Amino acid sequence: MLYPVPPAGAAPHSCGRPFPVSSLQEANSENIAALPKEVSKPQVSVGKRIFHFLISMKLALTLLFVIAILSVIGTILPQGQDVWQSDWPKSPLFDFYNTLGLFSMYYSWWFLSVLGLLVLSLFACIFNRLPTTVKHVFKPRIDVKDAFVANQPMAGSFAGGSGSVEAATEVLRRHHYRVKTGKKGSMLAQKGRYSSLASVTFHLSFLFIAAGAVLGGLLGFDYQLSLPNGQLVNVPQSNMQVESHRFDMQFVGKALLDDGRTVQVRQLMDGTVVRDINDGGNIVGAPFDLRPSLYSTDLEVFQNGKSIQRKTIQVNDPLELNGINFYQASFNQSSDGNVVSVLEVNHYPGKTLVYIGAFLMMGSITLALYFPHRRIWLKTGNSGQLLVGGRTNRSKFGFKRDFERIATDIKLRIGQEAGADGS
Amino acid sequence: MVVKLEEILFIVTVLTYLAASGVYIWHLISNSRRAGQLGTMLLVLGLFAHTMALIFRWVDSGHAPMSDSYESLAVFSWGIVLFYLIMERVYAIRAAGAVVVPTAFIIASIALVLNKGPNPLVPALQSYWLWIHVSIAMLSYGFFALAFGAGFFYIVQEHLLKKHYQNVVIAFMIMLAVIGLGVGLWLGFGVWAHPLDIVDPVTKEHSNQYSNADILKIIGGGVIGLVVGIVLGFLAGKGASRPGFARRLPSLDVLDEVSYRAIAFGFPMVTIGIITGAIWADKAWGRYWSWDPKETWSLITWLFYGAYLHTRLTWGWRGRHSAVIAVLGIVIVLFTYLGVNYLLSGLHSYASA
Repeated sequence: MLYPVPPAGAAPHSCGRPFPVSSLQEANSENIAALPKEVSKPQVSVGKRIFHFLISMKLALTLLFVIAILSVIGTILPQGQDVWQSDWPKSPLFDFYNTLGLFSMYYSWWFLSVLGLLVLSLFACIFNRLPTTVKHVFKPRIDVKDAFVANQPMAGSFAGGSGSVEAATEVLRRHHYRVKTGKKGSMLAQKGRYSSLASVTFHLSFLFIAAGAVLGGLLGFDYQLSLPNGQLVNVPQSNMQVESHRFDMQFVGKALLDDGRTVQVRQLMDGTVVRDINDGGNIVGAPFDLRPSLYSTDLEVFQNGKSIQRKTIQVNDPLELNGINFYQASFNQSSDGNVVSVLEVNHYPGKTLVYIGAFLMMGSITLALYFPHRRIWLKTGNSGQLLVGGRTNRSKFGFKRDFERIATDIKLRIGQEAGADGS
Repeated sequence: MVVKLEEILFIVTVLTYLAASGVYIWHLISNSRRAGQLGTMLLVLGLFAHTMALIFRWVDSGHAPMSDSYESLAVFSWGIVLFYLIMERVYAIRAAGAVVVPTAFIIASIALVLNKGPNPLVPALQSYWLWIHVSIAMLSYGFFALAFGAGFFYIVQEHLLKKHYQNVVIAFMIMLAVIGLGVGLWLGFGVWAHPLDIVDPVTKEHSNQYSNADILKIIGGGVIGLVVGIVLGFLAGKGASRPGFARRLPSLDVLDEVSYRAIAFGFPMVTIGIITGAIWADKAWGRYWSWDPKETWSLITWLFYGAYLHTRLTWGWRGRHSAVIAVLGIVIVLFTYLGVNYLLSGLHSYASA
């Protein structure tokens, strides 16, 4: 069987929720002015029109596309400080591009506006979907008509009779479905019902990340701090001072021995060459293939003249104090030839929000895509037969297999019980 | 010495994969059971040598083998073969091996020529996040590659069923031309071109400077790859253009579902990959996001497959539409995985060293 591809425009969904076709068709970015008659009636307010514009899938996908294209341009053109090391400043187009903000693409007002519009669209979508989804998950429709069950994508009918509903329920429970009974005797068996909710919380996680990023952008700061050894340096925008007791860097490379072997060596900051495993032979010549293997700073932090913390920080091992983070960033050579440690110091108040968003995002997307929501309704039909029908929001193949196994088991169970009754 | 043994084992691995590729293709054509069994046997042997090579490398370098192009590709091809052998055992289908095993062979052989011996980790990479972040990212690339394969064969199968054989040939030619171009350019960059290795006197950080001759070699690699790809595509397309081949391929329905399921598995993976990368960057450099080219391209990949899922789950796109998106996606994935390392500089540039 081939899945039918619905013609464009006849897809009655926005944000995953069925929407009247008439209002959706035109509620997109291109022609909001050309709303059809039903929608442009006076009772449709401007607010509603904006809302429909925001929740349209076309808008969201257009924005994703625009962000992707702009990001590509941003990776091709040098960004930020890198521009000055490139040939671009000599180009006649430089001023024009620079005015457009193409050399600080990701912080230009129009890039941020596109991101902002996406966040607004997400917000509208969540607002639009949340009530339906919550109802769908926590107060699902259990009592349904016969035709509703029979018209489900997967459906079957079994010989009815006393105990057949109970037998089917038992089978579903054994297949790890949670079964609920309605007021009129219909039943709903579900699996993975949080999957639908997870798709909403996935979109919600963007808002956390966006909020954290905005907070960090507005209230946060970051700068590089040069620390000559043994000198007390003020930490701007805080009441702390720091002192580097020792900056250290090491390299790992190879060296030739007088017996012809090549061994791994370490070169310390003062140029001393060290062999960690000494198994005879002497090093001849200078070490080669040197690569940095360690940068570290023995850092002491003071507040009001009192020492409050001392730690040797390294790349991948920073120090966090009073919301301010100290990272080993790089080093400089001062005019007198000494090597000076350079720290990255920053404070990003929104980081917690970003992390909440990130973990919500990972959890939600895994739940939403790995655990489909499967629903099966059960009821005794008008002519006494047992009706079973169900659907899923994801993988139809997996559900088909699941449903077929359940149907076989139900048939077996009912058959057995019918046999037991007869004897 | 340990280093030598690792290299020998890896050469054995690549040769075994080459032999296995031939046997699997022969199996697809002849449908001989013997050939299938021989292929599996060779592949298991190759995987054993491959595993040993990786273990030696790990012991020798002292860190998880994921820090440069050789190690990354060696682990990637290892994962493909392992995953494929499990699938073969579970689903008892060998036809896919004719595509998967040559792919693993190509990746492993590119790794072989890029092997420059183990190097100590630069400070930024000295973290346990290395193997978490890299293995999750590679797993997602693997799923997107699977989605690409299923999507491509969906398009082929559709044309086969309609007996549009000309389109089948064109599809194979386009696919192999693009792959050939990519492999050729990459060989040009990574193997033939010998850029000046410039070492900063203080930091000992390496950077490359390409001469005009190097650029010619890179373009030449691309052209050769393109031509070889077109020729191979024409031959493969002609070979596939028969009703019998349509019967050897899974049904349209299955191909559509496999492609979708692979993306549904890959998308959470790439999400987790990006987030673990952000956590690591936060720890190493104090910023969780700096719009570095690798970060940006992984975001583009993520947006692309996010759009795929929306068209499918919200708009109900199926079949050819979805297959075309899944096929196009692999270009973005390959650029994120490899292209960025060579073409764009940034925080991840150590990966091309």
